[in-house]
Amino acid sequence: MRYALLVQGAPYSSQASHSALRFAQAVVARGHRLDTVFFYHDGVYNAARLAAPPQDEPHLGDAWRALHNEHGTELLVCIAAALRRGLLDEREASRHGKPGHSVEPPFELTGLGQLVEAGLSHDRLITFSP
Amino acid sequence: MILHLLNRSPATGGTVDDALAAMGPDDRLLLIEDGVLGALPAQVARFTGLTGRLFALREDLAARGLLERCEEQANIVDVDGFVTLTEEADKTVSWS
Repeated sequence: MRYALLVQGAPYSSQASHSALRFAQAVVARGHRLDTVFFYHDGVYNAARLAAPPQDEPHLGDAWRALHNEHGTELLVCIAAALRRGLLDEREASRHGKPGHSVEPPFELTGLGQLVEAGLSHDRLITFSP
Repeated sequence: MILHLLNRSPATGGTVDDALAAMGPDDRLLLIEDGVLGALPAQVARFTGLTGRLFALREDLAARGLLERCEEQANIVDVDGFVTLTEEADKTVSWS
C-alpha cells in the first residue's frame, strides 16, 4: 500500500514527531511504500537544518532524511507554516532578504495543495498531532 | 471500518467523548501516547461497549511503565500491529 503521514507536532514539545517516525519505520519494514510525509503547523520544525540535539538522543531530522535516502520518501513542508516560523529554504531566504537559510533538501517547501493531493493519491493518510 | 487514534488521556478534557460519539458500530479505537492511560483500571470503564475493538500501543505503555497494569479489555498491539490496524481499516481518524 501507499502511505502518507501528516505530522503536526513540534519535535521535543510533543510525542507526535517520534510517534510518526516510529510508525514510518514500521510501514517500510512491512513492505509498504511511504511516499510522502507532510509537515504542517509546528511539525515544520522537523525540517530545521540547524537542529543539533544531544548525541545520545534520536536525531529526528537525520531520521527523516534517512527515510528519504533509503525509500525515496518525499518530505514536504507547508510553506505558509514554515515561513512564519523562520524556516526558509535558500530561495525564500533570498526572496525575503534573509542572511541564511534554515531548510534544505530533501525537505521541500510546498503548498497545502500537496497535502490534499497526498490524501487523494495514497491508500492511507495517517495524522500525528500534538 | 474506521480506525480511530486517541493520544490524550481520557482523564483530560472531552476528546475521548467526541471520539466515542463519532465511532460507528464496527469502528476500532487504538490508544497511543498518553491515550494508553485509558487502558488502566481507573479509566477503562469509559470504553465499555468496545469489546474486541479497543487496542493500546505496547511501546507507549512500556515507555510509561504501564505494560503490566493494563486491563485485559484492551488488546495490546506493537507498532507493527498499529500498521496492520491501518491496513485493515478503510481510513484512519486522529483525535487529539
